[in-house]
Amino acid sequence: MNQILSRTLKHGTQTDSTVADALAWFDLSDSDRDQAAELAPISGQVADEIIENFYAHILKFDNASKQFSSDQQIARVKAGQKRYFTELISAKLDKAYIDERRRIGRIHEAAGITPTLYIGAYAYYLNRLGLLIREKMKADPDTAFKLYLSLQKIAHFDMALALETYVEAREHTIELQQHEISELPTPVLKLKDGLILIPVVGALNESRARMLTIALLEGIRHHRARAVVLDITGVAGVDNSVSIHLIQTMQAARLMGAKSVLTGVSVEVAQSLVRLGVSFGALNTAGDLQSGIAEAEAMLQRG
Amino acid sequence: MNRRVPILRQGQTLIASVKDAVSDQEMRDLQARLLSDVVNTGASGAIIYVSALDVLDSFGSRMLSDIAGAIRLRGARTVIVGIQPEMALSMVLLGLSMGLVETALDLDAGLEILGHGVRL
Repeated sequence: MNQILSRTLKHGTQTDSTVADALAWFDLSDSDRDQAAELAPISGQVADEIIENFYAHILKFDNASKQFSSDQQIARVKAGQKRYFTELISAKLDKAYIDERRRIGRIHEAAGITPTLYIGAYAYYLNRLGLLIREKMKADPDTAFKLYLSLQKIAHFDMALALETYVEAREHTIELQQHEISELPTPVLKLKDGLILIPVVGALNESRARMLTIALLEGIRHHRARAVVLDITGVAGVDNSVSIHLIQTMQAARLMGAKSVLTGVSVEVAQSLVRLGVSFGALNTAGDLQSGIAEAEAMLQRG
Repeated sequence: MNRRVPILRQGQTLIASVKDAVSDQEMRDLQARLLSDVVNTGASGAIIYVSALDVLDSFGSRMLSDIAGAIRLRGARTVIVGIQPEMALSMVLLGLSMGLVETALDLDAGLEILGHGVRL
């Protein structure tokens, strides 16, 4: 079940069996497909009516009508809508269908159509469709109702697909940003002979802390540094493993003959270090960068 | 085979250069010879040069600490020189922080600490 809810509709992961699982989850079967197909003979006419209606509705709202800049664009989107509608009624529910729906979802997402806008529009669409079906099939209300239910299932399946693409697009953005943050360079700056400064900015996770350690140790070797100032003013949060890593980094620097000063410890970081039981006897610290550099220079003098 | 770690003398300083893959036995041998050399020559400082080492295990680093401690008791100082970044990191991860032994990046810096080098 979890698989159905979390993975089946995701991009690139669907196989024939996961598609079948997803359809089963929506209680969609071939009979629904056949039901919907009964609408095919009048679909063109129905579609035109609904779409006209729908755009009249959309243009009443500033927010929604902003999406449409010209009559040409409206005409193009209307044509797309009609195709969408035809597929809703007659397309086979398979991988190709899912891919197509996801593609449309991505276009919507990129165009800045919010989920509210999207679902609201779909609901409006479905309502009109329901009214039309009732009107056209007055003679057989039973069939009309079943037909409507089938269409609703397919529509909900569509919406699920579209919303998955929304979520995926957001996740993708977040992933990219996290990647960028973790790739932030850690510059090693030489202040004077034997003294280097490493300003750390951004979020420190474990992998970045490791890169920082390597940069610092290589920096000591490269600049023949005997003192290091590690400034973490720009670090938002430090968790336990990262605190330990910072301490280990400074110990490793000492093994290479360089003394280090930690500056810019924020209130939160200080508290987390104290909770860890770090004794600051083992660490040289200074309140701000200026006094940290002064302290490091004094260390150089002492030799 | 027992390769001996060479001990050089430069003024008042003894310099022992530890090669790669040094055995525990060689370390013990180094400890004994370095101590007696400090006693015999009246040297004021010793440098143990470890830059050629790839790894230093817990025994090795304890031996270095012990050597430094013993030399200290003879009134001389010891500086461990040439620990490379990779080794520093792996030592710290193993919890080997070498206590209070003095360290230096290279021979120049080590000699300077002992007061025999030319100030940079």
